Amino acid sequence: MSSSAEEDEYEYDYSDEEVGDDDSGMDWNPSAIASENPNAAPTMMYVHQKKGIRILPANELLPEMKRRLKDVTEILDISPAAAAVLLRAHNWSKEQLCEVFYADSEKILKKCGVNHRCNPKLPPKSSDDNCPICYDEMKVGTKMAMPCGHEFCLDCWHDFCVNAIKQEGPSCVYSTCPDASCTECLTEVEVETACPDYLQKFQTFQLRNFVQSNTLTRWCPGIGCERIACAPNASAMEQEGNVAHCDGCCTSFCLICGEEPHAPSGCKDLALWNEKCRNESETANWILANTKSCPKCASRIEKNQGCNHITCQRCKHDFCWICLQEWSTHGANTGGYYKCNKYDSGNSDTADQSDAAKAKRELDRYLHYYKRFHAHSEAQTFAKKQLNETENRMVRLQESSENAKWSDVEFLKTANEQLVECRRVLKYTYVYAYYLNSSAKMQKERFENHQEMLEKFTENLSELSEKPLDQMDRTEVVNTTRVVDRFMKNILQCVDEGMDIHL
Amino acid sequence: MSLKRINKELVDLGKDPPANCSAGPVGDDMFHWQATIMGPDDSPYAGGVFFLDIHFPADYPFKPPKVHFTTRIYHCNINSNGGICLDILKDQWSPALTISKVLLSICSLLTDPNPDDPLVPDIAQLLKTDRARHDSTAREWTSKYAM
Repeated sequence: MSSSAEEDEYEYDYSDEEVGDDDSGMDWNPSAIASENPNAAPTMMYVHQKKGIRILPANELLPEMKRRLKDVTEILDISPAAAAVLLRAHNWSKEQLCEVFYADSEKILKKCGVNHRCNPKLPPKSSDDNCPICYDEMKVGTKMAMPCGHEFCLDCWHDFCVNAIKQEGPSCVYSTCPDASCTECLTEVEVETACPDYLQKFQTFQLRNFVQSNTLTRWCPGIGCERIACAPNASAMEQEGNVAHCDGCCTSFCLICGEEPHAPSGCKDLALWNEKCRNESETANWILANTKSCPKCASRIEKNQGCNHITCQRCKHDFCWICLQEWSTHGANTGGYYKCNKYDSGNSDTADQSDAAKAKRELDRYLHYYKRFHAHSEAQTFAKKQLNETENRMVRLQESSENAKWSDVEFLKTANEQLVECRRVLKYTYVYAYYLNSSAKMQKERFENHQEMLEKFTENLSELSEKPLDQMDRTEVVNTTRVVDRFMKNILQCVDEGMDIHL
Repeated sequence: MSLKRINKELVDLGKDPPANCSAGPVGDDMFHWQATIMGPDDSPYAGGVFFLDIHFPADYPFKPPKVHFTTRIYHCNINSNGGICLDILKDQWSPALTISKVLLSICSLLTDPNPDDPLVPDIAQLLKTDRARHDSTAREWTSKYAM
């Protein structure tokens, strides 16, 4: 039951060491930057970072990137800007680039948009002195062209670069000459001249491209975060459930797909699900407006807290946000049965085999899972918000009782963190369940049973932790937190082991 | 910048209008234009007059204009909402392109549909398998909706 034994699973290795000088070319392993932890054994933890995964500031890879640029610049006798474009197009592999370059240099230079940069022969200048973008007259000293010779005024170059960097983000490194038929590639040389204030951003995108090309690294998806996660070896990048935790911006993410940690659902299922949600989102959103009507008095209700136990402000009716049934049928204290996680296709007419009926059944099935996925996703957001306010609540709670120590109120934070984790896991259990083979009936039932328990106790915890401070029962919260943690681990473990174990 | 450039395009369109096309602002809003394209003679759209709606984004010309047909047309690269599948209106847009060039490109799309990158797969399929039937439907739609 205790979780203290697993506390040491958190591993925020941090290294200030520089990249070594070993010339290992493509096999270069960023994890070799620091010595490996000999105790890096696989663990049973799911939500916390796996051993061996390390978080580094992205610019620790800069020396390696620069080294490759320098090598290519010297080997092929081209400018650093051209070398960057060429390396980018060849996965940052010197060997790969040199091979194709020596086979047919002209073809590769043209294809990558650096032909003019590497063969500087200025095309005849147009007699037109008006900028082809703003149509204003271009005076000497206010125009600029890339080696392809297409001239535009500096103001338009500035706007063009800023637009590319701000709107296109990381893919701005693939921008080409503003001329419609020209394929010459934009480089940091032009960005430096036209909008020096954005040069650093452009260079960061270049580094990001380098990081992405490396199969052992992933850029932290946290907004504006410039850290990367390094896997200890190639097999770690193939193992599902490898979670990295960035200590810079506190973002957790899946090392393989870069999404939020999504156990028990796999990366492939998640990608399918996200794609499906994108395609169906308009229908789904139309059906699932942000509000629901009270099943008794029909007044519209917006859910602004995490718990699914809703009390209508108008008629005081207690009901469940997910199934809209009376709350009294839910939860342990009534001995009721919590049925909200089960999709019952029995009430749709399975005898009707027409395409329209099949499509409707499929949509109903999807909506069943999407509704619950969405509800937990919203609840996760609320729980995160609540977590931000927890410290205030903790301070007030400590002040409210005499002799209370800080450690006496920390349970509130633990409970809240647990809640966020549970909501996230519950959310992805619906992705997992949606793709679970319908013929595996036993498996499905067992999974739904686990899911139901987790859901039930999560709701419980959600309600307990939202209570006004004067009604807060510490023992109850602590116990529920532990129980919920147990159930969460159970469901993840059960999926991990092919669901052959019992509770 | 956007407004100045749009104004200049309008002046240029007046001075040197492209063949079979015209365009101009709908009301006082310079960012909302209407355009007309005459169906090219060597296409099943000959004789038809097609109206298009043009919206310029605030960061024009660094972002492409939004162009769609308001007249219904039977074409594998134009859907029933008037949406046009044309590379220069998407990722191949360049700030050196103009509305005049866009309209000319749409004209040549009418003459030469691109069934390999279709927006309406059914029409593309018919175009590839039975050109005559495709053209006759296109002519029918043209006389029904564009004349």
